[in-house]
Amino acid sequence: MTISPGPPPDKPADGTRADRTSADDKAEVQCELLGFLAARAGGPVSADLDLFASGAISSVFAMELVVHLEQAYGVVIGGSDLRRDNFRTVEAMTALVARLRTVTVADNDS
Amino acid sequence: MTAEDIAGRFALVDELVGDRAEAWDETGLLPVEMLRKLGAAGLLCAQIPPRYGGLGLTSLQNGELTASVGARCGSVRSFMTSHGMAAWAIQRLGDASLHDAYLPPLTSGGLAAVGFSEPAAGSDLSAMQTRISRAGDSIVIDGHKIWVTGARYADYLVIFGRYGQDAGAVVVPADAPGVRIEPIPDPLGCRAAGHASVWLEGVRLPEASVLGGGQDLALLVTTALAYGRISVAWGCVGLLRGCLRAAAGHAKTREQFGAPIGQHQLVARHLAELLTAEQVATRCCEHASRCWDAGSPEAVVAAVLAKYVSSGRAAAGAAVALQVMASAGAHAGHIVARAYRDAKLMEIIEGTSEICQLLLAEHVLTAPA
Repeated sequence: MTISPGPPPDKPADGTRADRTSADDKAEVQCELLGFLAARAGGPVSADLDLFASGAISSVFAMELVVHLEQAYGVVIGGSDLRRDNFRTVEAMTALVARLRTVTVADNDS
Repeated sequence: MTAEDIAGRFALVDELVGDRAEAWDETGLLPVEMLRKLGAAGLLCAQIPPRYGGLGLTSLQNGELTASVGARCGSVRSFMTSHGMAAWAIQRLGDASLHDAYLPPLTSGGLAAVGFSEPAAGSDLSAMQTRISRAGDSIVIDGHKIWVTGARYADYLVIFGRYGQDAGAVVVPADAPGVRIEPIPDPLGCRAAGHASVWLEGVRLPEASVLGGGQDLALLVTTALAYGRISVAWGCVGLLRGCLRAAAGHAKTREQFGAPIGQHQLVARHLAELLTAEQVATRCCEHASRCWDAGSPEAVVAAVLAKYVSSGRAAAGAAVALQVMASAGAHAGHIVARAYRDAKLMEIIEGTSEICQLLLAEHVLTAPA
């Protein structure tokens, strides 16, 4: 059994929708996240700043980010996505949201 | 669920737990059938959605339920926290097939517990040594967990450990070959909650038993503990409510120096302290639960705060309640004597008060100046 929540290999991504909106979506998500972090961490951060290495976030803060991403973007961040690398930078989080948004989430009660 | 449905379930707690907590505390044992009945009514993990047989309660509703259990029996409430945290970990970390495999059993009488602590990894869970290793289509688990609440009664153990370079959690049937469970003799508090040491020696399971896997240990633990901390915090509210009721009753009826002792100012102050503790703890818990129900990121810190405040207030409140009760509360199984012992453990479990303080301080330091 694969535990990855990524799109099943036999199911092509919804190219039409993704192509039309992904660039705008990503810019919007990135902008919002930078705002959220600036407000929460008390100073501007850049999209590629390593938040863990810079000491900007703790595991509690990382968990807050998980909940924030889920609430703000209507995605479900499953167990196997709770990796530090997915939350290391704003860019990584933006990519995570973009990927999860293309997934048909059938089991989103968590 | 309608309000009547919920009230009906709460009534079941009264029926099944009743006034038997004192006897359970003295023997250090809960009747497993009682736990199974609570579980089958969905009460041990009441936030699990109805599609898995759960009650689908909000965190706030489950909190009140937890407090009402905690006001009667700290051991049952403690088991409820461990079972609920196991269900939450499966729900939060597992995928659909794991939800289908493991959540329905936990809402129909199957019992579960969660194992984090190890002999060398208490407050410092990063020192965890339990290893989940891949072996073909299987995984093999080796490790030693201690103070696993409820393990004595559990059918399933959710065990956290190292998995490759990172961390993972795995659902282990308690009767799997290589699992050995030994109850901790004579614990200080929550004496019947079934605390046990768990040895896992070459426990071989299908790879599908892993909840996620390959995650960051701190994130994994923070995720699972968030539920446990809110649950412990509400349990402490219950404990304070039990103390308040007992102390108030005693202060109104016990006469010394020609008056009910509640009329004496030094005793009256204790009652005020106790009410304050119960109210402050309740407000912190309500806030954490409302954040949780709203899906707010603030829920993470609010849970730590609620746990820290409620357990500290419960320990202080139980001590004050015992002072009011004096000799009337000074035998081992009395509700206030139990609360006095149980509350102290609540300052230790699910992150000591000191660890909670460090997390709260870290929150301050990462917030805007």
